[in-house]
Amino acid sequence: MAAPVTEPTPSTPALPEAIGRTDRKRRRPLAVRLAKHLVLLAFVVLCLFPILLIVSTAFKSAEDVTVDPFGLFTSFSVENFVDAWTEGQFGSYLWNSALLSVPTTICTVLLSTAAGYAFARCPFPGRQVVFYLIVVGLLVPPFTIMIPLYYQLRQMALLDTLWGVQLVLVSGTLAFGTFFMRSFFQELPTELEQAARVDGCSEWSVFTRVMLPLVRAGMAALGVFTFLENWNNFLVPLLYLPSGEYRPLTTGLFVFASGRTTDVGPLAAVALITVLPVMAVFVVAQRQVVRGFIAGAVKG
Amino acid sequence: MAGPTTGAVSATRRAQARLGLALVAPAVVLVVTFFLFPLGSAVYYSLTSWDGAPGSAPFVGLANYTEMLGDAEMWHALSNNVVWVVIGAVAPLVIGLVLAVLLWSGARGAVLYRLLYFFPRVLPGVVIGIVWGWIYDPINGWLNRMLEAVGLGALTRGWLGDANVALYAVLFAAIWATFGFVVVIFLAALQNVDIELVDAARLDGANAVQRLWHVILPQIAPVFLMVTTLTLVGGISVFDIVFIMTGGGPGNATEVLGIYSFETAFQLNRVGYGTTLALLITVLSVPFVVIINRLQRRLALNETGA
Repeated sequence: MAAPVTEPTPSTPALPEAIGRTDRKRRRPLAVRLAKHLVLLAFVVLCLFPILLIVSTAFKSAEDVTVDPFGLFTSFSVENFVDAWTEGQFGSYLWNSALLSVPTTICTVLLSTAAGYAFARCPFPGRQVVFYLIVVGLLVPPFTIMIPLYYQLRQMALLDTLWGVQLVLVSGTLAFGTFFMRSFFQELPTELEQAARVDGCSEWSVFTRVMLPLVRAGMAALGVFTFLENWNNFLVPLLYLPSGEYRPLTTGLFVFASGRTTDVGPLAAVALITVLPVMAVFVVAQRQVVRGFIAGAVKG
Repeated sequence: MAGPTTGAVSATRRAQARLGLALVAPAVVLVVTFFLFPLGSAVYYSLTSWDGAPGSAPFVGLANYTEMLGDAEMWHALSNNVVWVVIGAVAPLVIGLVLAVLLWSGARGAVLYRLLYFFPRVLPGVVIGIVWGWIYDPINGWLNRMLEAVGLGALTRGWLGDANVALYAVLFAAIWATFGFVVVIFLAALQNVDIELVDAARLDGANAVQRLWHVILPQIAPVFLMVTTLTLVGGISVFDIVFIMTGGGPGNATEVLGIYSFETAFQLNRVGYGTTLALLITVLSVPFVVIINRLQRRLALNETGA
């Protein structure tokens, strides 16, 4: 191993690697590979089993649910979905979930992109201080402000209103969004905006026409991540929509589950409805989801 | 020649500053109103004995803080948080590392495995809580059924109703939801590991465990630290899944700081003291988040991750 260090020719370091790789492939016996996949598959089963349980129970017939609620795929019926839709108010819960997550996600993406651009590209007096004021939200667990915010919303007459909860959700996702989008704008070369200025672009069109199209990937990742956060959010609607008006699926499920213990079938149906958009987003946009979650780790 | 150029430059500067201020304004207004202001209120409330009724809040100085230090229930809740932090950090780290190394060393279908492991992380906490509640069901639950099937019927119980095991049952559900995330982070970090060093160690006769411990781990140590701090913070501020699965019960067996704070403020109407407890969560977790931020910036995982 000393030779490549003293005499760094380009071909020497590549050689041991190549040997090592083929060597490794050849030496690994079938039994080892099989054992490896058994371990890996065991965890796949563990990951998917609870989902299978939801699907199985959701599609059971009413009698089967009372006899054997959690036996896998022992009957098939859609009556649980019909029950949930007609007897529970889950149609409106679904609509409320959409109202609480779609407009808020759009707002967060737009406002974070705007602020992220300013913090990365537009020097103004006091910029650093303002930036810290916004991202301090990344340091503090959201739970800290939950109690005072309740009384503040009550005072502002925003408690139990759609508006109030939407504003809280947008504000709660802005710190991360701004931090995230700023990093995308920081990576763009300055030559681009200078060239655009020379061509006579105003600052506004430098932002919207030149820079914005280049961070679309970041906006998509932020959008997907924020949508999941808002769709899954439990504490905000639980606290700030106490009367049950505008109740989304998450708190709807909670109230349903803690109220009566017997209606497992419709409960499973609604749980499945709640999970479906999440699964769809995850399957379609897995790259963005994973990227968002890894970056979102800063939030703690 | 110099005049117009500097004039143009400063005109650009001014235009930039104007645009910058306009672009941050909406975000600043929202963050000040719905985050910084309530954060200030939190500190203020913690110095009062306010009961939440409209009207004046009696100022009590540091009484809430001294009460907190002598509050046995707070210490009980905090000890549950410590259990949560320790097990909730160690288990995903070990499982995550093993699975990530298995996938990294060339398993067929690694991309699909990674995706399936990550999946529970995107599920809403309510659904996770409900479905694990079914698995733990004393009569029909799969856990008890499987224990009986393998002849361990003596171990069956109502998992969430038994004060001795409820906390661990809830914690297991939480670990189920997060370990895949740890796998993904470790895999991202392993992409940067120098494979030549690993092969050199192999040629020198190091076995798999030695290679992992002496060659691979030192190279991904910063990520290891990051994941640890991350799970620590999660463990200190845990609320949703406990609230959903047990509400802190049976008795107060699964009560953590978040639950205790919530109950104190909204059920006992002791807003001042409840807020003090919430601030304790903040004080305990902020140092860890600062560390995460430092590491995150150094690692630039954003780029390697997806």
